[in-house]
Amino acid sequence: MEKGNRNFSDRRFYPVFFMIIISIFFIGLLATFYYFTYEKIENYRITNKKRDILDLFSIPISDLNSDFDDYIKEKRVNDQVYYIATRDSVILGYCYEINGEGLWGTIKALLVFDPEFKSLQGLEILEQNETPGLGGRITEKWFKDQFKDRDLVKNNKIISLQLVPEGEDNTGNKINQITGATSSSRAVVRLIDKEFAKIVQQRDLNYD
Amino acid sequence: MIKKEIFVTSAITENSVWKQILGICSALAVTNLMLNSLVMGLGVIFTLALSGFTISLLRKFIPKRIRMMIQTLIIASYVIIVDIFLKAYFPEISKALGPYVGLIITNCIIMGRAEAFAGKNDPLDSMIDGIGAGVGYTMVLLLISFFRELFGFGTLFGFQVLGEWWPKWSIMVMAPSAFFMLALLIWVIEGPLAKKRVN
Repeated sequence: MEKGNRNFSDRRFYPVFFMIIISIFFIGLLATFYYFTYEKIENYRITNKKRDILDLFSIPISDLNSDFDDYIKEKRVNDQVYYIATRDSVILGYCYEINGEGLWGTIKALLVFDPEFKSLQGLEILEQNETPGLGGRITEKWFKDQFKDRDLVKNNKIISLQLVPEGEDNTGNKINQITGATSSSRAVVRLIDKEFAKIVQQRDLNYD
Repeated sequence: MIKKEIFVTSAITENSVWKQILGICSALAVTNLMLNSLVMGLGVIFTLALSGFTISLLRKFIPKRIRMMIQTLIIASYVIIVDIFLKAYFPEISKALGPYVGLIITNCIIMGRAEAFAGKNDPLDSMIDGIGAGVGYTMVLLLISFFRELFGFGTLFGFQVLGEWWPKWSIMVMAPSAFFMLALLIWVIEGPLAKKRVN
């Protein structure tokens, strides 16, 4: 018996056979683990997104799902998903789900604009792969709060947001960048600029 | 070797970070916040313990020529489990750590322990060795992050410790301070030992 085993493990195809068996085992283990947690991960993602959208429109939440259905309507133009928030048939604003390049990977975010598409009302980061503790700080409240009530159009001209060092005056179109994470801060601002330009074109808004 | 000795050796006497200078990439990257360091440490402990156990269990069957491929596959599988687990049960921390959980795969300590210990010892001993190495790594991470977060943000585990009067030292949040802190740590721990050895 022992001799047979030794012979088998000495055969040329044994490493390939072993690799296949162990790969199947671990892929199976991962697939099973993922299967049992997938629903939880997906539920968290959807719930979180709904809460973020309602928060961005400053809609108080009593029951997340019914509040979302009452106030928010999902729309899709080509690949672009956006949400319209209404209260008593009055449009509160538009929320766009966007994604673009960060320093290390894709940044997914929500942007809220006023009904006239003249100002940015808020930003929420859904997913990011920036450096933890540095670029990853784009998810911190103080950074995101800077994107509330920011004019993007003045005198019919599009104005870009500008980064300034942390601690400096951040009024007007100035945004405090994150110390040690200039590239990630720049990526967020660039993402907003790019997305707004796209929306302006899509909606035929006559800005200079 | 008795179990306690295995643990103490891999956690302290032969600490992977300050003694062997392994795993410093992630040690430098996540140590500006204590919470990130703790979660990273726990992820590494889990991966080290289970990969050590599994590799040791299979050591007599793993073909020598492809042992590193097998080790990487086993380590990667446990890291993905950590990643999925965090996404499902600690989504906020998973969000904060971003790509670093996945990068546990590249942590040299795990491969190092697989090669140096798990491939030659019993499964239980290998598991204890893995836990020891992981605890040693986590200790270093927490120690460095304690000073970086305190001086850089004025907080510990996110709780404000130093008041508004504290001029936050931006350098402590940035990458260079991790190098200074690690060098200081090695100097403080290894300096006296090196002197002893010379004498």
